[in-house]
Amino acid sequence: MTALVSLAGVTFTYAGAARPALSGVSLDVTAGEIVLVGGAAGAGASTLLLVATGLAPRLVGGRLTGARTVAARRCGIVFARPWTQLTGLCSTVLDEVAFGPASAGAPRDEVLAAASRALDRLGVAHLARRDPAHLSGGELQRVVVAAALALDPDLLALDDPAAELDPAAADALYAMLPSLAATGTAILLATPDVRRAAGVATRAIVLERGAVVADGRPAAVLPVTEVGALARAAGCPVPYPYDVPALLARVAPDASRRAHDTSDAPPAGSGPDTSGTIR
Amino acid sequence: MIGYVEGRSPLHRAHPYTTLTLAGAVLFAAFAMTEPFTVWLLVLAGAALAATGGVLRSSARTALILSLPIWVLLFVLHGLLGGGARVAAGPLSLSATGVARALVLGGRVTAIVLSFLTALATTSPHRLVEAMTARGVPFGRTFLLASTLTVLPRMRERATRILEAQQCRGLRLGGSVAARVRALGPLALPLILGALAEVDEQVLALDVRGAAAADRRTALDPPADTAVQRMVRWSLLVLVAAAYAWKFIRMRG
Repeated sequence: MTALVSLAGVTFTYAGAARPALSGVSLDVTAGEIVLVGGAAGAGASTLLLVATGLAPRLVGGRLTGARTVAARRCGIVFARPWTQLTGLCSTVLDEVAFGPASAGAPRDEVLAAASRALDRLGVAHLARRDPAHLSGGELQRVVVAAALALDPDLLALDDPAAELDPAAADALYAMLPSLAATGTAILLATPDVRRAAGVATRAIVLERGAVVADGRPAAVLPVTEVGALARAAGCPVPYPYDVPALLARVAPDASRRAHDTSDAPPAGSGPDTSGTIR
Repeated sequence: MIGYVEGRSPLHRAHPYTTLTLAGAVLFAAFAMTEPFTVWLLVLAGAALAATGGVLRSSARTALILSLPIWVLLFVLHGLLGGGARVAAGPLSLSATGVARALVLGGRVTAIVLSFLTALATTSPHRLVEAMTARGVPFGRTFLLASTLTVLPRMRERATRILEAQQCRGLRLGGSVAARVRALGPLALPLILGALAEVDEQVLALDVRGAAAADRRTALDPPADTAVQRMVRWSLLVLVAAAYAWKFIRMRG
């Protein structure tokens, strides 16, 4: 299947930064995938979304090396703070959501239909006539996601999209993603809410200091991050314990197998992912 | 109060171009007027405009607050320190031509401020965007103008939020002048830095939503324009041109 976004050895450094935010990232995202981008704060997940959608370095600035191929016809992105994503020029939620399709110059009826569908999908059709400035953070976040969906994007990047949502609304948002992906939209999802995201993601990648350290099925990859989090909380220096079996698997497969056979092996799921790629 | 105020007045219902042309006409006409009497007639016209928009009280109050320091400055500069024939006004000796000059300049400022406050209060940024979109104005220019109209209310809201947060952390706003000046720091820095950070994110969000690439946006709800309003706009342009022509004829005469 053709990748909608393909990164090959991409390194990205923000202007004025001493070290790259992304380092040698290689990644293919195909239609219908829901890719959870995990990692500690500052690991580069948000930057990966900006690079994948083509916003960095075009608008963000900075320097990008490596190859990036974007086959997606249209990209959408949602940030954590909804109030920064409003146009500030629309007096109703419907107009705000219709802004993207209207910018594409579609006929008025089509624009309004796309906006209404997106509002319906997010369960906020009842807010259509409200002033966006008078909505709560949670309502606004759903409106912003609807605005991104109204564009009918091939690639949708969600950067902590449930940050402003209450638990029920967050559940509803994540529950909507598989049906969206089923229509062929590829979704890149960066969030610290791994528990919810893992339930819908078809793939997970883990970033560590801008580099991809794990890539595979969420069930196989994500426990690794939990071990990492525990190690970090315990004050262990890098490399974290989960790097050890991964390294053994790569350089000495027999030794790795023996290590897993021992009684003090790490808990199930924290070892190397045989279905994916641990780098 | 600076910024749009919801309403159903004739100015609110008028095409945004008409309201802005009215304010623009006052601006240009103010500089064509050279006599205190005509300038203050223009101030009255500005007040009538505000009354028509139902925003006379708030606009006049804000215009007064904004113009007052300029009046004082002009009075001191031209009235007290100006040359020419002097007239006694109680204990003060004033320059007659200086006072006339101060009245003209102060009147111009007041008329302009009043008419633009009225235009701001009665022109919905959304309707303006729709009107400009319907006319095929590139979105960049539309955004620049409309966001200029909304920047003050947005900054005020943000400043209020920051002030409340800082007060919760113990910031004291009262006290001496020095204490008040010191209190500006905790307000100004987050206000400016926060605005810059949010603008960054807004640029990204708008770009993804096609704002930059929009050759021809679809106007969803363009405000109605009528033949009468178009005639009013053209008439105002002709009047302003005539006022300038009259001014130059008098200057040459």
